[in-house]
Amino acid sequence: METDTKELLPNLIENAAVIVLYLDHSGNILFCNKKTESLVGLKRSGIISKNWLEVLFREANNIMTKEMFKAVMEDSITYKRAKDFQCHILSSNGVERIISWSITPILDKNDQIEGSALFGHDITEIEERETSLKNIDDSLKNILSSIKEYALYVINLDGNITYFSMGSETMLGWSKHDIIFKHVSILHNINDNVSNLSLILEHVRLFGKYETETELITKNKEVVPVILTVNQFLDSSGKLIGYIFIAKDMTERKKLEYQVFQSEKLAALGQLSAGMAHEINNPLFVISGRVEMLKNEKLSQKVKDSLALIDSQADRIRKLVDRILKFSRKSAATLEPININEAIELVLPLIHYNKLPAAKIEIEKSFEKNMPPIKGDLHQLQEVFLNLLINAYQSMPGGGVIKIITSNFKNLYAQIQIIDTGTGIPDPHLKDIFMPFFSTKKDGTGLGLSICHNIIKNHNGSIELESQVNKGSTFTIKLPFI
Amino acid sequence: MLYKILIVDDEPPVRDLFMDLFKREGCQPVACASGEEALAVLKKDVFDVVLLDIRLSGISGLEVLKNIRNVHKNLPVIMITGFGFDEDLIAKSKQFGCSGYIGKNMPVAQIISIFKQFVKNSKEKGGCCI
Repeated sequence: METDTKELLPNLIENAAVIVLYLDHSGNILFCNKKTESLVGLKRSGIISKNWLEVLFREANNIMTKEMFKAVMEDSITYKRAKDFQCHILSSNGVERIISWSITPILDKNDQIEGSALFGHDITEIEERETSLKNIDDSLKNILSSIKEYALYVINLDGNITYFSMGSETMLGWSKHDIIFKHVSILHNINDNVSNLSLILEHVRLFGKYETETELITKNKEVVPVILTVNQFLDSSGKLIGYIFIAKDMTERKKLEYQVFQSEKLAALGQLSAGMAHEINNPLFVISGRVEMLKNEKLSQKVKDSLALIDSQADRIRKLVDRILKFSRKSAATLEPININEAIELVLPLIHYNKLPAAKIEIEKSFEKNMPPIKGDLHQLQEVFLNLLINAYQSMPGGGVIKIITSNFKNLYAQIQIIDTGTGIPDPHLKDIFMPFFSTKKDGTGLGLSICHNIIKNHNGSIELESQVNKGSTFTIKLPFI
Repeated sequence: MLYKILIVDDEPPVRDLFMDLFKREGCQPVACASGEEALAVLKKDVFDVVLLDIRLSGISGLEVLKNIRNVHKNLPVIMITGFGFDEDLIAKSKQFGCSGYIGKNMPVAQIISIFKQFVKNSKEKGGCCI
């Protein structure tokens, strides 16, 4: 059955869910539909022949708006083109509604303007939904920006970075603007991961997620150990549009793990050394004792000389064993309140009793005035400071400066730094520097720093070394306050 | 100096050395190879001083010391050890009532001199700690 469009059309317009108005050249309303009545809260008799601006914008303070829409209508008429605009109007029940308008010039057969059709669509609910979605979007952005411990970045299917969180900027040193649309391989260790990256992404594509312990590269080409989780990035229809990378910085954890590992290794070595020292001391005691007894016998000069040599060599072993036993000591012996500044001051005059290079070395002190006491063994701590200072001296055969800085860290612990401008220690040796029998010195026993490490550890403190070849070394000791 | 000394050490060369050293000093040393043997000897004989190794096979030196103190409250007992001057061991030895402590890491001449001084003080003033 063919529909009679002549009857249908007015019916459609009358009952349409959009506002439909027909205006003459001056903007007076010649026609309106039911939706117009319900929106403005006026009967048709109160609308027809009134100016559209007076009907729709009845509030007194809307002169600007009225002028603007008048200009929109004039533009539409002048250029014979449809114009879209949006405005807020007060509905009959006093609630503000958002209406999206379209004004279209109606032309006669001679292409002359007959009037204007005005269609208004109430988009209040749509706008509210969009606003709330935008708020959610803003909140998400804020949440993502607030997570600073994790680097979060997103790539598209081509591998180009499309999102780079603030946490990523902090961890990896790249600014968002510099890295967006760069290929993600820029962040991954070329030697380690770039070949794997495509495998990782393939795994994520197939199984949804991949987690691995790996390394990322900062802008300055430094390596950051991370736990990396890669997830699929799906659009609302579930289609894969990229990958989400979340990386947790493991630098501090790794450092801690390494320290624990080192401490355990040192503790085991300490135990072993103590046992060995005991086993050496007994026969050594017998050798020295027998030599001592023979000294009173009538012997030839040659035998006496040989005995003296045996005695001096036994003495050398005894001293070494003493050092080993010192290294293996478990506890701080005499604990008393100690002012670190005073403890260091007491050590300074003792330095010169040791064999030191003749070069000119200056000592600069910067001591914290507000330094609470720590609990410790004065002699043991002085041995540590003396050892570090002698090391500093020996590292500067051509002269230099030793800085001794003490500071109070948040009333939690005393920090002592001994900084020299000496030869420094090459990077590969740094990890072994506190190990017993490891020495970079030609005639060193390799026990000094391991004893220092043990003493500080027995005081519940920590000792760390940073060093650069030909620039110098910095020892940092932290000891908890009482 | 005709002190009667009981030497307790499980290593024969160490024992023999002490025997020879103290004989040379004019003392009267008696050697035991274990704590058990030492306690048995102490039941039969009287000594001026005991030189007792801490690490012994069988009952430990500290255990022997505890047993000696149960019977001989004032007998000077000097602990001797290859662990050197170990604060923990000294503290434990003192706790069990030792009169003195010598590390085998000391030069022998020094050990003898300290020992002589100790026994002299011990006789004159009723004991001291090294």
